[in-house]
Amino acid sequence: MAENTTLTIDGDKIAVPAGTTILQAAQSIGKEISHYCYHPGLSSPAMCRLCLVEVEGAPKLLPSCTTQVAQDQVVFTKSEKAQKMRTGVLEFYLANHPLDCPICDQSGECDLQDYVFAEGREHGRGHEPKRVLGRDDFGGDVLFYGDRCVMCTRCVRFMDEMEQNSLLAVVERGDRSVIDTFFESGLEEANWAGNVIDICPVGALVSKDFLHKARAWDLEHTPSICPNCSQGCNIDLHTRDNLVHRIKPRHNSEVNGHWICDYGRGNYEWLNRGDRVEAPMVRTTEQIEITSWNNAIESLAKCLEAKKGDVRAVVSPFWPNEDLFAVVNLLDVLGGGDVVYRSAKTEEELILPGFNGLARRRDLAPNVRGADLIGCSRVGDDYGRGGLEDVINHTGVILVLGDPLEEIPEDLEFKAETIVYLGAYISSVMNAADFILPVTTSIQQEGTFTNHNGRVQRLWPAVDILGAARPAWSVLGELTAILEGGHPSLSKVDQAFQALANRVSEYAGIAYEDLGDRGAQINDTISVMKD
Amino acid sequence: MAVTVKSMHRPDPGRTSYLRAALKGMFLTLRHMVRPHKITQQYPEEQTELSPRWRGTHRMEVHADGRPKCVACGLCPTVCPANCIRLIGGEDDQGNRYPIVYEIDEFRCIFCGMCQEVCPVEAIHVGRDFENAEYSRDRFVYDLDRLMNADYPVTLLWDPEDQKSE
Repeated sequence: MAENTTLTIDGDKIAVPAGTTILQAAQSIGKEISHYCYHPGLSSPAMCRLCLVEVEGAPKLLPSCTTQVAQDQVVFTKSEKAQKMRTGVLEFYLANHPLDCPICDQSGECDLQDYVFAEGREHGRGHEPKRVLGRDDFGGDVLFYGDRCVMCTRCVRFMDEMEQNSLLAVVERGDRSVIDTFFESGLEEANWAGNVIDICPVGALVSKDFLHKARAWDLEHTPSICPNCSQGCNIDLHTRDNLVHRIKPRHNSEVNGHWICDYGRGNYEWLNRGDRVEAPMVRTTEQIEITSWNNAIESLAKCLEAKKGDVRAVVSPFWPNEDLFAVVNLLDVLGGGDVVYRSAKTEEELILPGFNGLARRRDLAPNVRGADLIGCSRVGDDYGRGGLEDVINHTGVILVLGDPLEEIPEDLEFKAETIVYLGAYISSVMNAADFILPVTTSIQQEGTFTNHNGRVQRLWPAVDILGAARPAWSVLGELTAILEGGHPSLSKVDQAFQALANRVSEYAGIAYEDLGDRGAQINDTISVMKD
Repeated sequence: MAVTVKSMHRPDPGRTSYLRAALKGMFLTLRHMVRPHKITQQYPEEQTELSPRWRGTHRMEVHADGRPKCVACGLCPTVCPANCIRLIGGEDDQGNRYPIVYEIDEFRCIFCGMCQEVCPVEAIHVGRDFENAEYSRDRFVYDLDRLMNADYPVTLLWDPEDQKSE
């Protein structure tokens, strides 16, 4: 992009592409200008009057969010005039604000708190009674506290421009104006309305699910990939006490912009499941015994050695690429065999019309594309059930990764001689299993998911590993090394990814370290975004 | 630093009488027999007046209708340097934010009084109390009911007449 406009912001000379706004230009050199109505994913109405800056030669202060840069422009964001104006505007914002920060969920991540702390008056001067509106249930997950609203209309513009279903509007005029819904149902029918909670700069729109659950400063943020569908939206997992408390979108212009759907946002409780396998177990004659990893892997290796070419595997598309590849690789070493997976599929996609290519996809698992590319084949129906007749009737070894096979009745007799369950959750398949090896889930380990569009994106561990669980690629890597005889075992996830990239042509040329927090398109290393 | 040597000149033990010193000591004993001077405080019959700024075990202020004043804002567990406050917030049937669980571990507490200072609704206070012996250790984790029912006066960390310490 041609950098063809030079201007000066607070004494710093910079060059930016023509058409950039002053606010974006300032942000590009790390200068924050206070703003409410401007949001990088939405249009700018320049109505909050908080981003006004002084421009040399301009008779009045200009809104930096809509004013485009001009050649040799001289901008002062912190001049006395601009500062005084912002302090004044902030005082007006507080005229009707209830100052209920102690009971407000936004407290700690609130733009009004930050801006008033930075640029507001030290003491309020108002003594008039404040407007009281109370709160209103907007439907869905959204709760509206009218008193806290600063009328930036980001939420209205999100519904107009992104969801393109104008369920929110500003009603009344002037100082009585307030955000409201049209009908009783409110935002009930919307599929992306949760985003208005994220973009609300103050505590006016809050999540009912998260209400009073935790304080913003208590939560740890870990970048991750949404595990609820194959779109692969970039998210931040907000955790406290080793539990996921909420899911927030993370910006990635290639995948999801600033947005995630309500389905993905609300569907996090299963990540906190406590019924976990915590120790490796091996069946001896009749009962099952807890043992060490070394014992378990060695005896499993012996068992597999004797059964070469007679192994089938069932995997789960909720597990990362490295783990799925480790299963396929192990079966290759053992002389081949089918690897199948099952995945639930919904009727329709839920599209966000305002953002190109973003939808809640039909496949409700994060790594379906990855499983396909790595060489697993899909079986079963659209509920993620059935399709296991071949596996149940198989007489050799069955290796299960992740899939709890929950719909299979407990008394069903597997025909297999040996069943290996590499899983994170306790399941009925454990009754029949001969080897039970605890593995970590995608939020406990590093790894990658491949989204429906073929974008490989990284995961980071967000919560602690329970018990003796290990990543599946590490367990299976060790096993493969023993079976191959002395081949060095994998010790790091980037080696596991490298092994995958070496074998599966679509992943060739992608390096784990280069994925960053943006991911890379398969077979297209040029498009790796570095931000 | 210069080193100086100071030599002590003591009287020769063989040529000194200790009679005068012995009599002086006996006289002191005699005086205390006749007119005793008690230093030991006869606690618990006698109580010391505590300073108005004494920081002792906590107390939670309550509203007139018996609800705790606490709004579960989470500032006291955040500011607490000893990490002794456990708080889980929630919403009551009138839509007010309130503490479902509010516990203070008085063993961990270092009685700095920062919880009282930070409280935006003047709910949690350190009290003018120190008699908190118990028969078991677990009784030292004070729950919300116990904090609300405490009957000792609260600490005045600052003079209410002069809140800016002028």
